[in-house]
Order: sequence, then structure tokens, then C-alpha cells
Amino acid sequence: MTALSAIALSEDRRARAAALVQDRGLPHRRIEEWKYSDLRAVLGEAGLSAVVAQYLIRNLPHGMDVWDLSRPDAPAWVTDNFARETGNTMNAASLAVADAGIALRVPAGMAIDDPLKLDFTGAGHVRALLVVEAGASLNLVEGVVAADFRNVGFEIALGEGARLEHVRICPALDGAVLVEEAAVRIAAGATYRGHFTGFGARLSRMELEIALEGTGAQAHLSGVALLDGRHSDITTHVSHLVGDTHSSQLFKHVAAGKGRAVYQGKVTVAKGANGADSSQTAKALLLGDAAEADLKPELEIFADDVKCAHGAAVGDLDAESLFYLRARGIPEAQARRMLLQAFLEDAVAEVGHAESREMARTELLAALEKVA
Amino acid sequence: MLEIKNLHVAVDGKEILKGLTLSIGAGEVHAIMGPNGSGKSTLSYTLAGRAGYDITDGSILYKGEDLAAMPPEERAAKGVFLAMQYPVEIPGVTTMTFLKTALNSQRRARGQSDLDAVGVLKLVRAKAKALNVSEEMLKRALNVGFSGGEKKRLETLQMALFEPSLAILDETDSGLDIDALRLVAEGVNALRDPARAMLVITHYQRLLDYIVPDRIHVLAKGRIVAEGGKELALELEAKGYEHIVGQAA
Repeated sequence: MTALSAIALSEDRRARAAALVQDRGLPHRRIEEWKYSDLRAVLGEAGLSAVVAQYLIRNLPHGMDVWDLSRPDAPAWVTDNFARETGNTMNAASLAVADAGIALRVPAGMAIDDPLKLDFTGAGHVRALLVVEAGASLNLVEGVVAADFRNVGFEIALGEGARLEHVRICPALDGAVLVEEAAVRIAAGATYRGHFTGFGARLSRMELEIALEGTGAQAHLSGVALLDGRHSDITTHVSHLVGDTHSSQLFKHVAAGKGRAVYQGKVTVAKGANGADSSQTAKALLLGDAAEADLKPELEIFADDVKCAHGAAVGDLDAESLFYLRARGIPEAQARRMLLQAFLEDAVAEVGHAESREMARTELLAALEKVA
Repeated sequence: MLEIKNLHVAVDGKEILKGLTLSIGAGEVHAIMGPNGSGKSTLSYTLAGRAGYDITDGSILYKGEDLAAMPPEERAAKGVFLAMQYPVEIPGVTTMTFLKTALNSQRRARGQSDLDAVGVLKLVRAKAKALNVSEEMLKRALNVGFSGGEKKRLETLQMALFEPSLAILDETDSGLDIDALRLVAEGVNALRDPARAMLVITHYQRLLDYIVPDRIHVLAKGRIVAEGGKELALELEAKGYEHIVGQAA
């Protein structure tokens, strides 16, 4: 596991990450959090050695700072936020072996309208860091390009009162194995909105590790998985570390053919984090007997005065609604598409950035043509 | 217009309609009255083509064609409209989008060109006013949060919009107060037409004060047990169903 031009990291830190990976090996289905996404089975041990994944900045808004993570002597805004300790195996793997990475910053107080467009490409491991400093705001549009295997370790830090909307749209990638972990730290009064629309891959895993670290911090997560075959796993862990923090989650899945939709969402409210407010909804529609959905919302509460709601439901299209539409002259296939779109719509509507929302909607409509 | 002969319909293997025969001509308004469980809703769903309503014997001819062989959307395009007792709520589909999609689907099936959004809006507005269907209702999700009266008004608006040849009104009076009932009845009466047949299905005589039928059929235990003019409704109101059902049994 020797990288030729590894990302700049202390030998110590790299060694610790490598040791964690060495110790655990590739995640597999007998590890609870990976039960529905057996990475070892699809990859074998080969996955951890490829090191050529890259990033591509397709649009860099004026005013942002950029730092290539393979350069030595990183500035403080990078070293303060990069390579935080984590128990996450795949995150450690990318730290240990990635040879490419990018750090981006919106300086304090700067509001940027023009979206940052960032793609991850190629096979292997890649790191990214995005810092949105106090009072700053940004829209991030993340693109996903096909690869046999890619592991993205993404760290995001929001300063006090900062605002970030992060939209990731992943096309249908039949042969791809894609793993990404976004670790998001949110300071007091800051808001993170994350939306994840995906059409599935051979194995697709998007993990969100959200830390609400300051009073008034908010995280709003939403997403849609539309799977005509293929696999999509959204795994979230939202930690309310202090009181008066707010989180919401709304995930909608449609699985057809041999599609498999996974949602695992854990919300932790730390001791003393009174006044935390969290809601969590995951729903799936299964079209056909071979489709599968595994929805697992979970609450872990150590505080006394909190408001937490969660729910999950798996079902089929409503026969009565379908009949109603058909009895008004709408052909069956179109009526099914209307109902599927209606089912997904509230999650799509969570996207605040109009251009991204329309893009997500357009891609969904195109995919629905094939599913229904 | 509609010729039903010896119709037998089973739901979940249980026979509900047991040899129903009924004929409605163009321009006529017929009422079907009957107690709960007599098969009124089964008849309306069967005519509209809902899955799970199995015709085990008999026939339904609509304008000379075999209605039973058509999927629900084809029946709608050919002019069969069922105003439902319980219109479904569909979150995520706005009422206006639904109306436009339905209208253009029917037009397309008839070989007509689509109306654009402006054309549909004009048409809807022209009909909505008389039925007190507001712009705000049209923007809301289909039937979601609508009161009973609003739902029935929207059903009536659809009837006005689609201009069916055969309109079936299933318990249109249920859940309506007297003002709402009058409004809906006026909307229905405005659609009376020499080219249009109507079948009004109701438990109570009340609705027939407002939508006066040419002929009344009494349905009990899956078949027609009595027929007559509009005065039959008054007799039923005065003496109850048991009287007539008992006579026929």
C-alpha cells in the first residue's frame, strides 16, 4: 500500500489510518452497518490498492480558496479541519492510500450564489475537504462519474451561522461500486442541507456522519433512490451533541426489478442536549416481487427533553388511486408514473437550489419512463 | 346507450350482482335506489372497470360495444364517467395537473390533439365558476384536505369538463349538506342533454328531489326488484325499502 504521491499527511496519522484498515479489512455483511451492502463480496480485497481516483472542479465560483491536498505545508484552514479522527473503515482507507485530494474554502462572511460543481472520477480513493467559514454560504453540486470502484472521503466543516446546500445526483451505473462518506461538522447557528438522488449502482453507499456541534445548528437531509435493478444504500448518523439543535430526514425509494434500496438512519441525542428536535421518515415502494427495501431508522437518546419522531413504511402503489386516474382516462403506465412521481415529489421539493431541483426532477422523470 | 343484460358480478368469489338487467337511452336520467349492501357500488365500479369485479355472466353493451372488454381508460375516452362516492386523495399531484393530464389523455385516445396549458386553464375556469371551484382548490393536491362538498364539486366539474355520454353518479349526495347538495345537483342538471345518459345511484330519495329522474329502479340483493316513474321514490321514502323488497322476495 505505497502511494507514489500521497496526500500530505503526517506519517503518524497515515499509519493510524492504515492500521485501522489493516485491522478491520473490507466491510462485509456480517458487520451490522454493512449488512445490506456487502462490499467485500463485490470487491474482494483488490479495492483497497487502487489509488488513481481524482477530483474535477467543473465550476469554481469567484472568491473561493483552493488547496491541492498533495502539496506540503498546508494552510491552517486545511490542517485544522482535515483528517479528523474517525472510526470509519472506508474513511480511514482513503486517508491511508489516496494520492489525490482537494480542499476548498468559502472565506468568512462571503455569500456565493454561483454553485461550486465538484465531480469525483476514476477508480480508487480520493479525499476532499470543504470549509464554509462563519457567516458564509454556498451551493455545492456534486457529480458522480462511473468507476469500477471508488471511495470518496469527504469532510465538510460549517462555521458559525454558515449555510451549505449539498446536492448529489448519481446516475444509474450498472457496473460501478461507489462508496462515499461525508463527515459534516456544523457549528452554532449553521445549516447544512443535503440532498441525495441516486439511480443505483452495482453497489452504491452514501454515508453521512453529521455532527450538530453548536446551539441552533441544523441538518436537513433528503433523498430519492429510483432503482430499476441495482443497489442504493443511504446510511446516516446524525448526532445532536448539544441542545436546541434540529435535524430532519426525508428519504423516498422506489425499487423495481431486482432493485434493492437501503436506508439506515441513526439519530443520537447526547446527554444534556435538551431541546433537540429530530424527525426521520423513510418510505419505499416496491414494484414487483424481486425488489427489496431495507429501512432501518434508529434513535439513541441520552437527553431528557427532546422531540424525536421516526417512521418507515414499505408498500406498493395504491390500487384505488391507480383506478381513479385510469377511470378518468389516464393510461395505466402514465397513471403509475404520475403516482410514483407524486410519491417522490416531497423529497425532491426539499432541494432549495432551483437549478439542482429541476435537474433532479428531470432525471427522475426520465428514469420513471423506464420503470413504470 | 347502455344495455345491461342478466349481469352477474362476483367480488372475491362472492356473487354480488345476480342477474341485473337495465337499459338507458340517450337523453334519459335513471336512478338506482337500494338499501345498503344491495350491490349499488358494485354496479358502478363494474361499469367503470375496476379490477376485482368479475363478470361471471351476462353482458354490458355501451353504444353497441362490449364495455366489459375495455380497460377503464378506454371507457373514459369513449365517454363513460363515474362520479365516485369517495374520490381518492392523491398528494403530490396538483388538481390542475390532474385535470390537464386526464383531459388530454381522453383527447389523445379519440385522435384529437392536446390542449396546451392555457387552453385547459380557460376551459376549466369557464366551468369552475358555476360549481364554486376556486383557483386555490385547483392549485392544491388532488382532493387532499378537500371537504366532502369540495370533493363532490370537483367530481361534478370533471363531469362538465369531460362531457361524457354516460355519467354514473355514485352516492353523490353522501356527506353533503343541503346547500352543497343543491349546488352539485344544479351542476348535474345543467349537463342534462339529449345526447347524454345519466345513472344516479342513491340510497335516499332526497337527491332525487333535485335531480329528477325519468325512471327509477330498485336494487335489492343484486337484482332489480321494482321499477317505476319518479313517484316510486316518494313511495320508498314513505314506506321504506322493506316494503318493496319484501313484496318482491
